[in-house]
Parts: sequence; structure tokens; C-alpha cells
Amino acid sequence: MKRIPQRKKRRTVPVPIASMGDIAFLLIIFFLVCSEVTKDRSDLQVTLPFSEHVEKIQASVVARVAMDESGEIYFDGVRVDGAKDVEWGVRALLTNTVADDQRHVQFKCDAALPKETFEPVLKAIAEAGGIIEAVGEKGE
Amino acid sequence: MKKRYSREKKHRSGEIPTGSFSDIAFLLIIYFLVATTLVKVKTITADLPAGEKTSQPQSDKTPIVNLRGAEVFLNDKKVTMDALNERLAALELAAQDPSKRVVMLESARGTPYENYFQALAAISAHDGVVAIVEEDE
Repeated sequence: MKRIPQRKKRRTVPVPIASMGDIAFLLIIFFLVCSEVTKDRSDLQVTLPFSEHVEKIQASVVARVAMDESGEIYFDGVRVDGAKDVEWGVRALLTNTVADDQRHVQFKCDAALPKETFEPVLKAIAEAGGIIEAVGEKGE
Repeated sequence: MKKRYSREKKHRSGEIPTGSFSDIAFLLIIYFLVATTLVKVKTITADLPAGEKTSQPQSDKTPIVNLRGAEVFLNDKKVTMDALNERLAALELAAQDPSKRVVMLESARGTPYENYFQALAAISAHDGVVAIVEEDE
């Protein structure tokens, strides 16, 4: 007796996509929680100094202090009047800090500024208990 | 006469269409990834001790880096920045007691931050503790 060859049924294999939305939203939440919004001003006119010793920053900074070419001082992106404001600001942020890792303060300053302008700010950060992370560029 | 038929409201199922949720979510992810800038700045770390003013003379062995404009002096001897690095490396500050790692940093008025930064970087790179010398008013 002759057998009639049975045709193989083509099965559609559905990919489970029901949870794709959940996964995607979880990823969004993960990125939002892990990301740190920078308080630094990117439009500042700052020419960074060069040194062969600069390295990529490892620690997270508690505050960002910047001084542009005209000597204006910015604390976390907000212009302040003087070094005293920086000292109070850093001191306030470090009030409940115990670990050294949480004392890092980023300091970005224009390379051409004279000592009289930037040194009071450096001293203010030191007086407030901050460890200075002076921003520069790699070079001779 | 036209007969008015009261239209029956269609009962709709109250399901929210969630089919495109994953597309929206992935679009949001792509937006965040494109809009994010990963900033990793290069810095030197300097832990300046918040010292108090003192008129006591420092020990003779405490190295003093003096910046006068573009010139650099180490213990009153003019040096280049490379020589300063070599001399500080020779001091082997890392092996010293923390209290003996202090390097005084003095600078004249008008010294640009560029030079100050390089001296600060040299001292910090060789495990020195920077002590800023203040001018008397």
C-alpha cells in the first residue's frame, strides 16, 4: 500500500515580546538612577593648564568650583561673590562627611589667572576640609 | 416618517493598547544614551592641610618650592620643572613619615595658575603634602 507523504505543518514560533516593555522601562529606570546630572558649567571660558601628572579622576566629587578667565567664581555652576562663599558652600556639603572619599572638590581654573585671584579659593576649599581635584590637561 | 433608531452604544473593551510601549521605552533609552555625555576629567589630587597661621620657623629640612613668575626655585636654587620633578622624586617622600612629607609652596604675586598647577602636580605626584606659604600683609 502506498503511503501518502504527509506535508509538514509549518509552525509559527511566536517570540515572547510581552515583557519587552517592562525590560525597556527597567533599563530606563536603571540609567536614570545611575546617571549623575552634572552641575558644571560647560560654557565657561577656561583654558586648562597642562601637566604630565594629571590622571583621570577616580573619585566622585562633592562639589565643583570653577574660575573663568575674568576671575569670576562659580560654585556648582552658580556664580558666587568670593572665596568665602566657596568655603561655606563646601563646609555645608561636608558637614556629615566622614570618609575621605567624599571630600573631593573639583577645581577648574583658567591657566592665566594670577595667584592673587585663585589662591584664596584654593585656600577656602582646603579650609573647608575639601581635597582639591585640580583639573588640567595631559601635556608637557 | 423616518423612524429613528436609537443607536446602541458599542461596548468597548477598556483595554489600554500597550503594544507600542516597548517601542516608546526603547526610544527613550536611545534618547538618553545619545543625549548623555560621559565626562571624565583629568585632575591632580592635592590635599592641602587646613593649617593655622604660625610664625614658628619650619625645620631646615622642609623643602620650599618658590614660584616667581615663570621661574621655579627649590630651596632658593633656580630649577626647571623637570629638575623639580627629579629632585622631589629623589626625596622619596612616599617612604617618609606623614609629618615629614610637607613641601612648602610659596609664590610671588602675579604667578600664573599654569605654573602653580605644575608645581602642585609635581609635589602631589611625589606624595608630598602641600603647605601654602602666605605672605604677610
